Amino acid sequence: MGILDHIWLGILAVFMADPLFSIGPMPISTTVAMVVFGFLLGVFVGATPGLGGPSTMAISLPILISIFGVEADALLPVLGFLVAVMKGATIGGAVPAILFNTPGTPDSLMTTLDGFPMTQKGQAGKALRVAHFSSVSGDTFSDFVLFTTAPFLAIIVERYLDFPEKAALIILSLAFISAVVGGNVWKGLAAAALGMFFAFIGTGLDGYPRLSMNLDALGSGLPLVSVILGILILGAIFEGLEEMWREMRETAAIANVEMSGDNKLHFSDIKKIAPFMGLSALIGTGIGALPGIGSTLAATLGYATGRKMHKGEVPFGQGTPEGVAATEAANSSVAGANLIPVLSLGIPGNVAAVFLILAMESIGGFNPGPQVFRLIPDQVNPEMVIAFGLFTAMLFANVLNWTIGGVFMRSMGFVVKVPKQLLMPVILLVTLTAIYSQQPTMFAIIVTLVFGLIGYLMRKFDISVLPFVIAFILANNLEASMRQAFAATGNDPWFLFASPISIVFIVLAILVIVFFSRGRKRDSEDKQDLNKGMVT
Amino acid sequence: MRIDRWTVGLAGFFALLAAVMLFVWIPNDIETGVVEVYRRQVNIGDSMAPTVAAVALLVVSLLMGVFSFFRPLASSAAPLDQRSFSFLARIGGVIVLSLVIMTYAGPLLVAVVNLFGDVGIYRHLKDDLPYKYAGFVLGGLSMVAGVIMVVENKLSRHSLWIAAAAVLALIVIFDLPFDDILLPPNGDY
Repeated sequence: MGILDHIWLGILAVFMADPLFSIGPMPISTTVAMVVFGFLLGVFVGATPGLGGPSTMAISLPILISIFGVEADALLPVLGFLVAVMKGATIGGAVPAILFNTPGTPDSLMTTLDGFPMTQKGQAGKALRVAHFSSVSGDTFSDFVLFTTAPFLAIIVERYLDFPEKAALIILSLAFISAVVGGNVWKGLAAAALGMFFAFIGTGLDGYPRLSMNLDALGSGLPLVSVILGILILGAIFEGLEEMWREMRETAAIANVEMSGDNKLHFSDIKKIAPFMGLSALIGTGIGALPGIGSTLAATLGYATGRKMHKGEVPFGQGTPEGVAATEAANSSVAGANLIPVLSLGIPGNVAAVFLILAMESIGGFNPGPQVFRLIPDQVNPEMVIAFGLFTAMLFANVLNWTIGGVFMRSMGFVVKVPKQLLMPVILLVTLTAIYSQQPTMFAIIVTLVFGLIGYLMRKFDISVLPFVIAFILANNLEASMRQAFAATGNDPWFLFASPISIVFIVLAILVIVFFSRGRKRDSEDKQDLNKGMVT
Repeated sequence: MRIDRWTVGLAGFFALLAAVMLFVWIPNDIETGVVEVYRRQVNIGDSMAPTVAAVALLVVSLLMGVFSFFRPLASSAAPLDQRSFSFLARIGGVIVLSLVIMTYAGPLLVAVVNLFGDVGIYRHLKDDLPYKYAGFVLGGLSMVAGVIMVVENKLSRHSLWIAAAAVLALIVIFDLPFDDILLPPNGDY
């Protein structure tokens, strides 16, 4: 079976398998229905401050597993739903940023700089159309890069990387994520080391589950979903609640400026914003392909680059469509490219990718990594079919984004008025209930709350939670690779330096740490310059 | 130049934690060493990976402490202050109380009903109304309304309505369509 056969099977798996209902003669499959639902939900939650794509993915996952079970045929509906939420939330985040100067997601912060001034000039409709067009263009570009790059990268990985190189690659990825995420390399590395240590509790090859303190509850390790949702979701909820508790929520009246003049997006507008979109899409895709660098940095760089090349009448920061386009194209083009390390290496690069990996691990039948794209003579590789099915679901979500996304996005202005102090406690209960539905024991809830407290403290001390979570996920893979590498090299204690490729990876890991530990000062100065530029 | 005392303190905490892991937890709670020799075959033992992680934490925390001496204080704001602890105590109190209510409301209801006539034990009644929802409804209501009360500094009627709607929605989503999903705390009984 060749690649084209697998692509066709992937398309069929999305559109034909397990029909839910029919519209006339056309069957609507469960995956298609889930992508549509996920996309609309994503736009809604993206537009709602305090929610957002990752938290919705986190809460949905246990519910989806309850509905679809853990058989392999659950993979495409669940993964399709999750990627659709991710895509919907990306465009939804621009709505409150443009209409109310309140970014729905951190990525949309830069969108407020030009989007809200456009609203104040009565051009809210045009700003939303520019944001939508740029966001979908960037996203589509990034997806095509993913579809063409991931299989080839996987083949290269499969051909050239053995156990020592794979172990070294995981070490490089962890070093990179720890170094580039957050404001302090050492804090990032400490978070990764802690995440690894916690992952080793209750595991190991010996009969006694290590580090379990003789507790039965820890005998099979810390529950993965509880730890990740505790750190990522509950930690953020606790921090958000504290902020609101401190501020007692100032209810500033929102000035409602009516739209006036021409608010449509014309071909001449597209011609004007196209260079900014193109450049930002390239920046976002490049950044997205590297593990750990988020869309917020992509948006910042896209905006800063666009500001430098802009020569129009209205300067950046005073309500120019080019500013909105530069930001939205950059942050949206991260999403697809972020799946390149997931599918080709099995290494998650951002929070959304963490939830995709979590779904794959919870359901089974799909282990992200180079073997996904391995051709088996005269046989179907079911993992490759799932991968191409996922690509098809992403393309279908893009079609939805191009067609109904804009209209649906522009109708979402009302959700920004939902008070966060009412929303967050509900999310707390939903998260705990969702975890209990998957692991029906109060111990899982207690673990979630404990890690929620750890996540809260990490945020208070400006320690990025992403290195912790990714190290927690990858730790046991790293240990397995190291054990196998040790055995495969004939018990060579220097197995990490046994081949030129693994030496390169280890040296790169050290260089990344040294570079980012020295470069922070210059980084922050750049950011200060950028901020000054924005103010003036 | 003012030293970032919070980062130095954090580095000290991590160093102490790493030392406890290395010298107390790992030696006493793992049965195989860093390497194991079995029939002249050398293998990586269960202690290796946690030891590497703990050593990494120790080294990184020492470097974090050293580097924070050479870096000017980024912000004078303390990451945690008295109000943070006050918030944590309030929110923690509400959540712990809610979980206690959630865990024991059902068995307590059964105990009260048993005073008027023997209906059995909670374990046998956890699939029957109204017992199956007693803990989740009361615990969930108190958690959502309690957290809103902490943030708003008052118990309002709308917080109770929101909490009731959330609990009802969760029962509809998780319990009604599925026979095999248990709401808290029924899986523990």
